[in-house]
Amino acid sequence: MRRLVTETTPPRKQHMEHRKVRGNGIDIHVAIQGPSDGPVVLLLHGFPTLWYSWRHQIPGLAALGYRAVAPDLRGYGDSDAPPEVSSYTCFHIVGDLIAVISALTEDKVFVVGHDWGALIAWYLCLFRPDKVKALVNLSVPFSFGPKDPNVKPLDGLRKFYGDDFYMCRFQEVGEIEAEISEVGVERVVRRVLTYRSPRPLILPKDKSFWGPKDETIPLPSWLTEEDVAYYVSKFQEKGYTGPVNFYRNFDRNNELLGPWVGCKIQVPTKFVIGDQDLVYHFPGAKEYIQGPKFKEDVPLLEEPVIMEGVAHFINQEKPQEILQIIVDFISKF
Amino acid sequence: MTSEVREKKIKTNGICLNVAEKGDDGRPLVLLLHGFPETWFSWRHQIDFLSSHGYHVVAPDLRGYADSDSPPNHESYTVSHLVADVIGLLDHYGTAQAFVAGHDWGAIIGWTLCLFRPDRVRGFVSLSVPYSPRDPNLKPSDLFKSFGDGLYITQFQEPGRAEAAFAKYDCSTVMKKFLLTTRSDFWVAPPDTEIIDDLEVPSTLPDWITEEEIQVYADKFQKSGFTGALNYYRAMDLNWEILAPWQGYKIVVPTKFIAGDKDIGNEGANGTIKYAKGEMFKSVVPNLEVVVIEDGHHFIQQEKSERVSEEILSFFNKLRTTE
Repeated sequence: MRRLVTETTPPRKQHMEHRKVRGNGIDIHVAIQGPSDGPVVLLLHGFPTLWYSWRHQIPGLAALGYRAVAPDLRGYGDSDAPPEVSSYTCFHIVGDLIAVISALTEDKVFVVGHDWGALIAWYLCLFRPDKVKALVNLSVPFSFGPKDPNVKPLDGLRKFYGDDFYMCRFQEVGEIEAEISEVGVERVVRRVLTYRSPRPLILPKDKSFWGPKDETIPLPSWLTEEDVAYYVSKFQEKGYTGPVNFYRNFDRNNELLGPWVGCKIQVPTKFVIGDQDLVYHFPGAKEYIQGPKFKEDVPLLEEPVIMEGVAHFINQEKPQEILQIIVDFISKF
Repeated sequence: MTSEVREKKIKTNGICLNVAEKGDDGRPLVLLLHGFPETWFSWRHQIDFLSSHGYHVVAPDLRGYADSDSPPNHESYTVSHLVADVIGLLDHYGTAQAFVAGHDWGAIIGWTLCLFRPDRVRGFVSLSVPYSPRDPNLKPSDLFKSFGDGLYITQFQEPGRAEAAFAKYDCSTVMKKFLLTTRSDFWVAPPDTEIIDDLEVPSTLPDWITEEEIQVYADKFQKSGFTGALNYYRAMDLNWEILAPWQGYKIVVPTKFIAGDKDIGNEGANGTIKYAKGEMFKSVVPNLEVVVIEDGHHFIQQEKSERVSEEILSFFNKLRTTE
């Protein structure tokens, strides 16, 4: 049965609840909306956004009887940000989410992930398939899953893209944080959210990526000044160290994911990506998404959806379409 | 008795493990995981028994031990590394699902394998160490503090400390202090005393082990040292962090727990056996059998070899018939 999705009023005017869940040694901020007995839909944001990136899907899901739950991941927004880099492995983050799920329900949950949230969702499905009813993942396919634990993924990225590839620039503790401080959070937020180039994200050390300080960056129709102001205020308050620490654990994650090399995802999955998403243009990504390997690794994968003309921040750029895809899929279970 | 045991080196998870093997290739695979401070040799009786009863038995020297590789840093000894080593062995043998038995640290690896990859385990026998729910608010090193500096685990934390304490004795004596212990407390040494100094060597050997057999262990540790083995303890806090996603998880793999009633940690109201027979253990391992062996101590698969062999065999055989 297809559930129709209609335009909803802006998120701030809904009865959204903001709560802190204590779990895994930290306080995790969650935005929740929907009936308390509704099936839980856990919405996982990516880098560098917040729970807020799901603002268009949360009320829509709630209106259809789901309980939409969108945390700020560890290190972000109103959630705690432990200081050590070593506190940001995928085990820490999945541990946080298990605590959030357990605080809300004993049942399996639906999971929707974007960017880092999608990668974390893959790990959640590997570690605790007993907790996930179905998965909708955006942007990041499972090709980013566990590989040979004795090969460092960053070495490959550095070799392929050079030292100025954004993931490489994020490694040195304090370096990108200082650059963002200098450029200013407002400019960084605007530049990142409006980035539409499918080319690899290279950040030359001369800071030219951010553009001239006096040049305003116009917003697309799907992003308001209010939206930008929300992100800016939260990232000014919290900084970027927590979020960037996720990247600083790339190699360590891979080393610790040894037990899951070759392990398939056994959760029904829907995958969506924009054809202008820079992730779609990573070497091998298109072939993986469109070829047989994705379905081999994720046997319960539905045909991947590739959205024409859409870039990385897909759940903000095409909010109603993404909401419809989520609802159409999870209503089957 | 162990003359038909084949030993070979297998590449797994980026290291080389020395593996003892007996029994036909085509038979169901049993993986035996030793504890501290031992080697595959601790399973010598079970290797013979299980292989002569229709199983292909594989018993590695674990990472850090004997003739297997020993990476230098304790951060390479997390349960993630250890479980990946084991999965690599299963992959090497082309085994989709194995029967697994583990003792002491080998039991911890087995439990974690049941958490991480229950799809790879047909049945699991744990010797000595039960599965306890993780305390989300208390990491291991904080729990150990409550036992004071005398607790062996605390003394094993500081790199070099236990190694220096052990070095006061020849390896054969070190082995006797461990293997022959009849202590049932939690192994807490008196103030200003190293545990190795506190463990006593009995004046005569019990009937279940010979000088020659003790020398087998001594020779291996003489060559490798104890750091690899001690690194397991040094990774306990890391393990606790890694295990956060399994908070509240119930083990679904069919499991049998076997321990001697005089094993370490059985003294007092909060003893291991009491826990093993109790409701909390059953609630986290619903598919569980518990066997307590009277008058058994810690190194149970050597001390009560026939009983342990039979208990393992009957359990695995039963699982094969109930498919």
